[in-house]
Amino acid sequence: MSNFSKKFAVLVVIATLALIAAQCGGPTPTPVTIVETVEVEVEKIVEKEVTVVETVEVEVEKIVEKEVTVVETVEVEVEKEVEVEVIKEVEVEVVKEVRPIIYNSYNSDPGPRAFDEKMVALFNEQNPDNPLDHSVVQHEDFKQAIRAYLVADPAPDVMTWFAGNRGRFFIDRGLIMDISDVWEEEGWNEDYPKGFRAMSEVDGKAYFVPSNWYWWAVFYRKSIFEEHGIAPPETWDDMLAACDTLDGAGLIPITIGTKFRWTAAAWFDYINMRLNGPEFHLNLMLGNESYDDPRVKATFMKWQELFDHKCFIDDAAAYSWQEAIDPLAQGDAAMYLMGQFIMDSVPEDVADDMDFFRFPIIDPDMPIGEDAPTDGYFMSVNAQNPDGGKDFLRFIGGVEAQSMMVEDLGRLPVHTGVDQELFTPMQQKGIELIQGADLVVQFFDRDTTPEMADVGMNGLMDFWADPYDEDLLDEIILDLEATRAEIFDSAE
Amino acid sequence: MAVTSPPIKTKPKFDFTPYLFLIGPLTLYLVWIIAPMFYSFYLSTTDWDGISPDAKYIGLSNFETLFGSMGKRRTSPFEYALVNNLKWLLTFITIPVAMGLGLAIVLNQNVKGDRFFKMGIFLPQVLSLPVIGLIWAWVYNPRDGFINPLLTSLGLADPPSWLSDKELVIWAVIFAAAWRQIGYIMILYVAGLKNVDIRLLEAAKLDGANAWQSFRHITFPLLAPVTTIVVVISVIDSLRSFDLVWVMTKGGPANASTVLAVLMYIQAFNNYKMGLGAATAVVLFMISLVFIVGYLWRIMKDEMEY
Amino acid sequence: MTTHPPTMTKSTAMEGPKTKPISTTRILLYVFIIGFTLVYMAPFFGAIITSLRTQDDITLNGFWSIPTAITFENYPRAWEQGNVNRYLLNSFIITIPALIGTIFLSSLSAFALARYKFPGNQLIYFIYVAGTMLPFQILILPIFLLSNATGLYNTYWSLIVTHVAFQMGFCTFVLRNFMKTLPGEIMDAARIDGASEWGIYWKIVMPLTVPGIAAVATLEFTWIFNDYLWALMLIQDDSLKPVTAGLSTLQGQFITNWPMIVAGALLAALPTLIVFFALQRYFIGGLTLGSGK
Repeated sequence: MSNFSKKFAVLVVIATLALIAAQCGGPTPTPVTIVETVEVEVEKIVEKEVTVVETVEVEVEKIVEKEVTVVETVEVEVEKEVEVEVIKEVEVEVVKEVRPIIYNSYNSDPGPRAFDEKMVALFNEQNPDNPLDHSVVQHEDFKQAIRAYLVADPAPDVMTWFAGNRGRFFIDRGLIMDISDVWEEEGWNEDYPKGFRAMSEVDGKAYFVPSNWYWWAVFYRKSIFEEHGIAPPETWDDMLAACDTLDGAGLIPITIGTKFRWTAAAWFDYINMRLNGPEFHLNLMLGNESYDDPRVKATFMKWQELFDHKCFIDDAAAYSWQEAIDPLAQGDAAMYLMGQFIMDSVPEDVADDMDFFRFPIIDPDMPIGEDAPTDGYFMSVNAQNPDGGKDFLRFIGGVEAQSMMVEDLGRLPVHTGVDQELFTPMQQKGIELIQGADLVVQFFDRDTTPEMADVGMNGLMDFWADPYDEDLLDEIILDLEATRAEIFDSAE
Repeated sequence: MAVTSPPIKTKPKFDFTPYLFLIGPLTLYLVWIIAPMFYSFYLSTTDWDGISPDAKYIGLSNFETLFGSMGKRRTSPFEYALVNNLKWLLTFITIPVAMGLGLAIVLNQNVKGDRFFKMGIFLPQVLSLPVIGLIWAWVYNPRDGFINPLLTSLGLADPPSWLSDKELVIWAVIFAAAWRQIGYIMILYVAGLKNVDIRLLEAAKLDGANAWQSFRHITFPLLAPVTTIVVVISVIDSLRSFDLVWVMTKGGPANASTVLAVLMYIQAFNNYKMGLGAATAVVLFMISLVFIVGYLWRIMKDEMEY
Repeated sequence: MTTHPPTMTKSTAMEGPKTKPISTTRILLYVFIIGFTLVYMAPFFGAIITSLRTQDDITLNGFWSIPTAITFENYPRAWEQGNVNRYLLNSFIITIPALIGTIFLSSLSAFALARYKFPGNQLIYFIYVAGTMLPFQILILPIFLLSNATGLYNTYWSLIVTHVAFQMGFCTFVLRNFMKTLPGEIMDAARIDGASEWGIYWKIVMPLTVPGIAAVATLEFTWIFNDYLWALMLIQDDSLKPVTAGLSTLQGQFITNWPMIVAGALLAALPTLIVFFALQRYFIGGLTLGSGK
């Protein structure tokens, strides 16, 4: 019995501690306490001798084998001498409640994460009264989690997101805050190139702060190319020849990790743009062209040639995009079609050996399209600290933050005020690559709706698993078209 | 104090006491478990996107969408999920059950240090599924992993690509899940075997029954209640599977390893189709319902015997 | 995968438990058991070994090579840089109140269901039992909406309440059956002595149920601690995540660094491992209790 009581008492203590901890460790949006210490000295001196007689009733219940419950009442007298002397210094805290700015970020990769943390630290240093609470969510999980964030109450104030169609769904449903005033006040309408304003606005109102962009290209190991006498391929045939040479030498011509499917989508984007022109590609993404157009199938057939020439690494689906960098870094693979952010994850000692070339031309008569996604930030319409959130947007979209981003991550800035001198040769080359394009698009899953992208990327993965099954390809195309029709035709 | 008491009759008047005890827990249970379940049924008949204030009632068309996608030449995500759940279920109620039983019987043979072996085999059950997923993702990793580098060094030129082969991937995941499950089942059978009267087996031996016969006709029938439980647990666990798939493959490649719970998550939170996601969950529920009802039926019979 | 029951039972029947001649079957039995256990635990040992190496070593030489060096630094790195310390603390902050809440509320219903005859008793019992078998995925969307509407979303409480509610079915089932086995005379005697119904629950039945509670609590601890999906759904703030969900952030952070990831995973598993080894008896008791009689 008493044993149980003891156990229970322990449980209660633990519970209480846990509850206290639960309160303390607290559901963040806890107000931040800014302590202005006012020292008040309170001196109380109590000197008294007190004799306390306590009458304690103890109930003892015993379970006797005869199954009779006996209740005994015992009176205990306790004599205590208490001497109390209290001298207290009391610190009175004047508490100003400031709800921190909640910032949820998908920058979970080491490089971007470090930069993100640096920005947050800097912002907090500059705005001690308006602290920022930063949460990093794994990049791929973030893409699903954001849906919950935006309808949650309280919602995070500021979130990372992608420019283009992927934000449109949320904007259309009134979940994103109109930040035209920030654009106005900061002069971004003038300082950001017009194209960026266009991708940030709906019906004339700005909802998004584009903060950086980057180019896609085929990244490769210079030393491997030199060793095998390969020049960066300019045409499709060059590319196939390069695959043959590298494969013949026992190397993996192109590495790719398709565990997260978007890496394969880049190949579709590029082959489709090079073969059928960027205009057709963009319209396909926007649902204005049908997937059963013969041009789409032609894209897949072109893609098949890469499999003919054993261009790709085996088991691509077993690797995440970062894992697939390993063979490149170890000198087993030569090329990787990837965004500039690949450089975040390439080991330092290999970085100097890396270069990139424009995705090879397939049809010289077609205009040139490039994938150049823009990343940035938006705010929830339910933001609890809209002023603070906007301050952070001002900071992150400003010249100082963008210059640091250019230096630390090698992305390209949106703000025209960033000093051109900062650009490395690689960045210069990237800018030239984009300037040489006739049309710039975002990316497969940023130019269309999430559902279309999901179905589309599954189709690409199915194709990848068995690129020679033409009946399967026809089915894939049928499914894609059915989904497109359902999403886009019914919406009209 | 009265030691001899008159026989107590159940009080004839209506007694509120049990309801007072129940009111707290039951309210929470109804609000947080039962009501949400019915809300999911409702959602499954709408086209709600999870955000818009209005959800349109569309009857059973979500279910038509799901089942209508089956039987095509190109396997639809729903068909993959359904078939994978069934593969998982059938595997779970056979192989881990048989192995768990086998191990329990083996370890029941007065084996010295049986505790150590039991603990070793039970250990994976204690690990959380994300941990199991990470460990096995590493085990299967073609370059830095456990199996394939071993196979290569043993001279196998082209080892299987466990997590990227569309045929193989779901089995690779199920294998990892079974690895966790076997210890659990073994422990249940070990406990069950304690109740098997050794004298019965000895008597059977005297009567000339061989080992297989006495297992078949004595041990196994006596273990029947445990077996029921084991099968129910296996079914439920196989239908609930989400974590391992999510951590190891995210359902890929091309949905080949998806299960209903993963598909539901993708539909609802990636594609913004709450209605369709709820419908997928309802399908999952309906499959479990068959087993839940069967199990309740058995319990009810037990209860009636009291 | 093969099954063994037939051959194995053979060996039993041949020897019986009393005499122990060291026969060849007996030796084969041990060879089999030891071999099997070792193979079975190989992934686990492999993981431990990996966590003690460096990624460079593995990348260069593969896993199946003699480690060039043994390092323990992956653990402190995962602990601090990987935030495993914070995540583990969160896990406890969530698990302990949830565990206590579950046990307390379940014991109330279990007591009512086990000790009283009243209309609806069976029905309520079946609702609880059926609930334990629910594929909880069906609850995800509504509970997300519910916790959002109640303001619990993205707090520890959302997880605590959800765990309590969801685990209550199983606990009630186990404790109710346990309480049913207690002799009814004790209660009757207490009632005659004027004990209140609450007194009977609290002072008589609960103490006698301690073994059942210990067993079910040990089991529930690992179940709640190991939850992943609810954490994924109901918590968005990185600083509130329990370790299961935190592992995915860790994985994002160290992507291809297997030793780090595995070290983090093993750290995450440590509390449940400790509970299991320390309270093994209860743990297994809980499993068997839960499987009914």
